[in-house]
Amino acid sequence: MNFAVLRVRDFALKALRRAEPALTGKPLAIVTGEGRKAVVAEVSPEANLEPGLTVTLAMARCPGIVLRPRDVSAEVEAGRLLQAAAFTISPRVEATERGCCTIDLRGADRRQTETVLRLRLLELKAAGIPTQAGVADTPLIADYAARQGSPLLVVTDPGEFLRELPLNVAEPTPAQTEILHSWGIRTLGALTALSKADIGQRLGTEGVGLWERAAGETTRVLRLIQPPKSFIADWTYEPPIEMLEPLTFKLQRHAERIALELRAAGLVAETLTLRLRLDDETEHSRGFRLPEPGADVASWMRVMLAHLDTLRLPAHVQHVVLKAQPTRPQQKQDGLFETGLRDPAAFWENLARLEALLGAERVGTPVRGDTHRPDVFILERPAEKVPPPGPSPLHPLRGMALRRFRPPWGVRVRTECERPKSIEGPLEGTVQAIAGPWRADGDWWNPGAWAIESWQVEIDGAAYLLTRTAAGWRVEGVFD
Amino acid sequence: MPHPTITALRSLVDTRFPVATRKPGGAVATGVAAIDNALGGGLPTGRLTEITSPHPGSGGQLLLCQLLLTMRAARQRVALVDAMDGFTPESVPDDALRHLVWVRPKGLSDALVATDVLVRDGNYGLVALDLRGIAERELQSTPKGVWHRLHRAAEDQPTAVLVQTTVGLVPAVLHRLELRSNVGLAGLRRTWTELLAGLTVETVRGRYRQAEELAG
Repeated sequence: MNFAVLRVRDFALKALRRAEPALTGKPLAIVTGEGRKAVVAEVSPEANLEPGLTVTLAMARCPGIVLRPRDVSAEVEAGRLLQAAAFTISPRVEATERGCCTIDLRGADRRQTETVLRLRLLELKAAGIPTQAGVADTPLIADYAARQGSPLLVVTDPGEFLRELPLNVAEPTPAQTEILHSWGIRTLGALTALSKADIGQRLGTEGVGLWERAAGETTRVLRLIQPPKSFIADWTYEPPIEMLEPLTFKLQRHAERIALELRAAGLVAETLTLRLRLDDETEHSRGFRLPEPGADVASWMRVMLAHLDTLRLPAHVQHVVLKAQPTRPQQKQDGLFETGLRDPAAFWENLARLEALLGAERVGTPVRGDTHRPDVFILERPAEKVPPPGPSPLHPLRGMALRRFRPPWGVRVRTECERPKSIEGPLEGTVQAIAGPWRADGDWWNPGAWAIESWQVEIDGAAYLLTRTAAGWRVEGVFD
Repeated sequence: MPHPTITALRSLVDTRFPVATRKPGGAVATGVAAIDNALGGGLPTGRLTEITSPHPGSGGQLLLCQLLLTMRAARQRVALVDAMDGFTPESVPDDALRHLVWVRPKGLSDALVATDVLVRDGNYGLVALDLRGIAERELQSTPKGVWHRLHRAAEDQPTAVLVQTTVGLVPAVLHRLELRSNVGLAGLRRTWTELLAGLTVETVRGRYRQAEELAG
């Protein structure tokens, strides 16, 4: 479960309806092209039409249909909302295409992510863009799952999942579809039952590509996008408005997106600024300091509406800008010398994410083992607070620090008078200077008894730690 | 003193696009005079700083250990993303490990993902990414976009980001310093104070003076 895909079916339609609630429930179609070439590209289920019909034909078959061109600004706003939702799940997000985001989930806790995904889908639905999600091991299979998801589909067995999917999911060309249908192949499972080599011989490299997509073998590197750095929305009314209702509606929609972006960044709004540009070229601007910094749209709206309800403007509103000033959420009252976590939720969540990605034994605060044996330590859970520093060491710290080679480099050593003279292996050269040996042993009462002989040797101007154990000579690291 | 036209242009940009000119934030002092001087006070927060150690024994690990001590004294959290798993806890006193989160990834790709997560966290005073020991060809094959993403992630965070490499790697980095010491076996008998005072540091790339001018 490494990737999730959020996909909005009929994205242009949903974005338009989100911006214009009056269109809800009406048969609606998005028109592309001009004049006689104009066709309906996306059609709502109420219209019961196939996309691709000419406008005349669509109007003849569905007399009440509302025809609209694409609303690019509504799509941009809906797209940003979708991306903000994705960023609340993981910081690694790709804007795959219009109405589709791919999320890198590697390292995320599976059960928690699934819960968050479900919550986010509910929020997106409430915000006017019902979204489907798929979760799988590769971006491609996650996308297939998102296309099937209602609203969320988690693929645990890719082979089983792909087998029954219709062929068109793998996007064959019309020519490939015709050939494969003539062979009686209608599902991905039926296609992958044939060998890749046979498909390659008959359908060429494009056929191999189709087979790989059908088998879910294709993977790719995500082109990650950056989360937004400023939390701002602006929109224009054409024609300008004079009533509060249309302003309130759009204000709510844009505030929802900004609040989600803030939450994704682990921030909250401290103040809001609302600027209304009027059609007489004047401007009304008002800043709102929130009673408590937060990302709760309902409380934002209460504060802004309390002002707007009493507002009388000399002209119509043409353009609106809403800006949130972000701040870090105040988790607790800091003491004067407090050095706890600024954002404990982010700290523990990120540690859990790294542990899932790398393994719990590879993340933590090192604590040396209670032994004289070199390089023995455990990694512990980091402290909630950094304690005050202990007393300074009695003796000054001495010598370059050792950078270990893990695992150590096995080498062949030529000795003279029982002292290393030259080394062969991953590190080669004549020993120019030497110090040692230092001998240590321990655990002689245990089966895990150890004994080690250490030398410090200089080769090509750099100092290395050379050891001899029962396993032979090894270069343990470099003094750097 | 910059040319008056340049000053006028900067002031115009400042007025028109107040967000475009970032003012330098704080800095994390390393406790190594040569490095702090070269960086104008220490590792800048919200920025990536690259320190290269082309030769073994040039003092990169000593610098890392000194940073642990300095950050410990300031009670600031440190994350070390140790791509080649080379850190040795015995190199520093036990007390100097208590603020450290040591991340031991299994390769370059995991190291970069882990760094991305830690830089965005906001709870660390320093995130150190140690890439020394990784083959140069593999390092150079890192997509440039990864570094730009890290640059962007570091902005607005109160975290200094140190990248330690063997070759100059990070594009558009504000400061790139090179460590050129080579003390050999004799260095094992000197105190840290002597060794750090003797560190040879060369500024390969540094723009802190320009940044100061921009800030006016």
